[in-house]
Amino acid sequence: MVEILDVALPIVSLVSFSVLTIPVFSAIRKTQHRNAMAVAWFLTAFIVSGAAVANLTLQYYSLASSPSALPFLNIPLADTTTPEYASGFLIDGISIYMAIMFIAVSAVVLVYSVFYVDSSKRPSERYFAIMLLLTAALMGAVFAGDLLTLFIFWEAAAAGSSFLMIYKKDPVSLNSTLKYLVMIIIASAFIVFGLSIVYGLTGSLNFWAVRDALMALGDKNLLVIAFIMIATGYAIEAAIVPFHFWLPDAYTAAPSSSAAFLSALIDQGSYYVLIRVLVYILTPPSAGNPGVLNWTFMLAVMAALTMIVGNLFALIQDNVKRLIANICVADVGYNLIGITSVTALGITGNLYFFLMGGITTALSFMAVGLIGRYGFRTLKDYSGLGRKMPFVSLALVIAGLSFAGVPPLGGFMAKYLVFTAAIQADISWLAVVGVLTSVLQVAYLLRLVNYMYARNPEDETAIKEPKRMLIPIFILVAAIIVLGAYPQIVFNLIDPVVNQLHQLLHIL
Amino acid sequence: MYSLLLVFILPALGVPFVYLAGKKSSRAAAFLVALIAIANMALLFTTVPEILNSPTHEYIEPYEWINILQSDFTLFVDGISVSLAIITTLLIVVAAIFSVNYMEGKKNLPVYYSLLTLLSLGLVGVFITSNLLLFYFCWELMLVPAYFIIGNWGYRDSYRAAFKFFIFTHAGAVFVLLGIGAIYMVTGTTNMFDAQAALVQNVPGVVPWILISLTAGFAVKMAVVPVHMWLPDAHSEAPSPMSALLSGVIISAGAYAILRLSLGAILPAVMDPSFGSFGMDFMHGLAVFGVLSAFFGSLIALVETDIKRIIAYSSIAHMGYVMFGLSLFPTSTVAGVITITAAITGTVLHLVNHAVSKGLLFLSAGAIMHQTEIRDIREMGGLAGKMPFTAVASFTSALSIAGTPPFACFISEFLIFVGAFEVIQNDGFFLWPTAFMLIATVISLAYSLRYLSYVFLGKAKPEGEKKIVDVPIYMKVAMGVLVVFVIVLGFWPTFFVDLINTVQFL
Repeated sequence: MVEILDVALPIVSLVSFSVLTIPVFSAIRKTQHRNAMAVAWFLTAFIVSGAAVANLTLQYYSLASSPSALPFLNIPLADTTTPEYASGFLIDGISIYMAIMFIAVSAVVLVYSVFYVDSSKRPSERYFAIMLLLTAALMGAVFAGDLLTLFIFWEAAAAGSSFLMIYKKDPVSLNSTLKYLVMIIIASAFIVFGLSIVYGLTGSLNFWAVRDALMALGDKNLLVIAFIMIATGYAIEAAIVPFHFWLPDAYTAAPSSSAAFLSALIDQGSYYVLIRVLVYILTPPSAGNPGVLNWTFMLAVMAALTMIVGNLFALIQDNVKRLIANICVADVGYNLIGITSVTALGITGNLYFFLMGGITTALSFMAVGLIGRYGFRTLKDYSGLGRKMPFVSLALVIAGLSFAGVPPLGGFMAKYLVFTAAIQADISWLAVVGVLTSVLQVAYLLRLVNYMYARNPEDETAIKEPKRMLIPIFILVAAIIVLGAYPQIVFNLIDPVVNQLHQLLHIL
Repeated sequence: MYSLLLVFILPALGVPFVYLAGKKSSRAAAFLVALIAIANMALLFTTVPEILNSPTHEYIEPYEWINILQSDFTLFVDGISVSLAIITTLLIVVAAIFSVNYMEGKKNLPVYYSLLTLLSLGLVGVFITSNLLLFYFCWELMLVPAYFIIGNWGYRDSYRAAFKFFIFTHAGAVFVLLGIGAIYMVTGTTNMFDAQAALVQNVPGVVPWILISLTAGFAVKMAVVPVHMWLPDAHSEAPSPMSALLSGVIISAGAYAILRLSLGAILPAVMDPSFGSFGMDFMHGLAVFGVLSAFFGSLIALVETDIKRIIAYSSIAHMGYVMFGLSLFPTSTVAGVITITAAITGTVLHLVNHAVSKGLLFLSAGAIMHQTEIRDIREMGGLAGKMPFTAVASFTSALSIAGTPPFACFISEFLIFVGAFEVIQNDGFFLWPTAFMLIATVISLAYSLRYLSYVFLGKAKPEGEKKIVDVPIYMKVAMGVLVVFVIVLGFWPTFFVDLINTVQFL
């Protein structure tokens, strides 16, 4: 039986490690091996919280006799007679999958950050503590069982990430963080307004109670308004075109370790929220299912716009970090394809894209961060980098090829899945847009590769790459290659999610 | 057993070891690459008895891969694919051994040999799978290592040539992917034989588009006119061992894919009466493009003066022959089976023979450039006396390319023409293309003789400071192996002909 403690344990353990980080760092700052000790400390944190997640996973999967009969498990926070109306947690396949993914990726990014952000400097311990805290908030968001809990935890993660962006405290980062914060606050206002309408319509915020009430709803005019509010709010937070303009600024101004964290975790968290709200609650109609609201066409148009705008802006970038930030925007579009085509294949593609897209963007930000330490920022600076810094260049090339969708890297399989899903859901035009923009991606990423390998550097002196920072980078490279060539490893985790969704939606 | 799986795994696992060996000595890395390729060749040979003796004449190893896409990791060889895979491994061995002397003194050799190993994985993989998705994986896996090998160790503006190669072939690959996706959508399978059966049984209206999309994509890699533009640059700027692989194997992979997928799997469905004469028109179109390529390639080769560009254009010409041979693919079934004809046997055999001959020609051209450090054939002359071994290799290969008996390419071109005359009896359209192809053969003899006489015959030009001597030992070994193959395949093509003739389409 899954108790409330089992669910709370990963969150609580991450929060307590986060709080303890500050005294621990003041103790180890003076010592000689502070980096090693910091890494050990964070690995302990992730082993403990990982064990908590593993415990939860095992407990949850032991509930069902077969993987296709997994329950949606409501765990109310308060003991009431009508548990479906209380706020609480919801454990199902997708939340377990997301939790595992967050823990794994967050651990790699944090280890990188320890070497990237000089841990001898004063506020660095707060930076790491916030990273742990944000992971905890994301954990809470994926375990949330009602719209209010989801809102609280997710806003904590989204607003809290501004602390990661502002770390450098220079005018550029202040400016872009302010922009981000304003956007987030506007988004929250939209969401709260939409949620209040939903509560007015249904008298509940619990996912299933809301869903059932909305299914039975006769007049849907108010629901459409609520949907527009909520969708706009989450679209701002997920950086969907035309609400995307904060993202390139914020990711470029943030330190690279923050950009890696944001793109790998916060971004993927926002997709999760979109899936949870749009697919699980505001289910669109499909064969044998009346659905709640038909939003697919609107989202398809936004997906196409996001892919086109993201890639076109990436094409004209001269600053490599900004180029990758724009790829993040384009990636939002590819993810939306999967959400839009509400099919088993699309959701599988989505969940796989979460992982591979997150890893790939994190990897490229980490590589760009390492390269940026030596003052290389623009494409021109990258001339001949392949000869000067062979290892980190190799990692960046692999990330680029994965973005471009060259097999056997992870990006190919992810794109293949979502495109196939789009064709299956009868929105082939979206797949065509996706394929064409992918060709565009190949062109500009190959341009980057061309700069790195074909041009001659201004000075030929080789740079000694710090080995410690290469370790987390190459862990992600290995993940891209292995999970890309043999994706069944991830699909084994995703299959139960899709089965469960299948029962819920009667989709293909 | 696990023969084919090992063929897949050995190069993949070999990459780090090749890199580490290269750190110690680049010679060790070259031999390790050759050793892996020889092991692969041996493994491929173990499947031959099964192909010859089993009733279905094929050898299959099924493994699980991606269940949600109904995509398995089926490894499969039949007579055609095993012939091409064996020749591929042979060329990799030769290229690696040739590189020992040829690449001496170049930078970053461990990376070069690692990329060569990775390339071999893609090259062989294309031939030994019947799963479309896995096929596409290998198809694209050729691209990245080839890009870096051409770019980093090539001549002159090599990254530009590599960029052109990458963009052209990747754009082609997008069409291939579109075709594969469409096949999966209409049949629900990514196995090419299941897809073929499903398409014939229930012919969807989109099939002609699938055929065009796939063929266009493959034709880019095959470098048939009018999508040949990447080939002269890439082949002439690449280091010579890589040119040998590009010309010998990579473009042959395009031809193999057209034969296996476009013609073998999709064409039977397109011959459905509901599409009118589309199928026949398509085959006629292939013949026209074949003739165009043969003429275009041969004529440019006749006037080009850069030693490697001559050979590159001759590759376009020979892909013209292959395309012409493919257009003779039988369009009607006999008792539900498409039996292999002389033209198709000749086409596949020509891929084998062309790979060996053109590989040798590129290696010998590389040897000449390595020893003389000039590229313009007008500045050469009388090299036969100074580089007798290279001269023998060049004469063997160039005469084979020209289709002179008793060298390898003669027999396969002869078979293609025999097949063409068979087809003419039923379809008068092929009369003129066949006549033009015969004329193109004469031009190919002309450019081969021009090449040989400019480079090796005549009076020796005054030498510079460096004395020109014949090539070092490992280059000799590499070229010698291929010389033997060119002559043996010319006299005794039986092994491959028997293998190819076991194949049944449909």
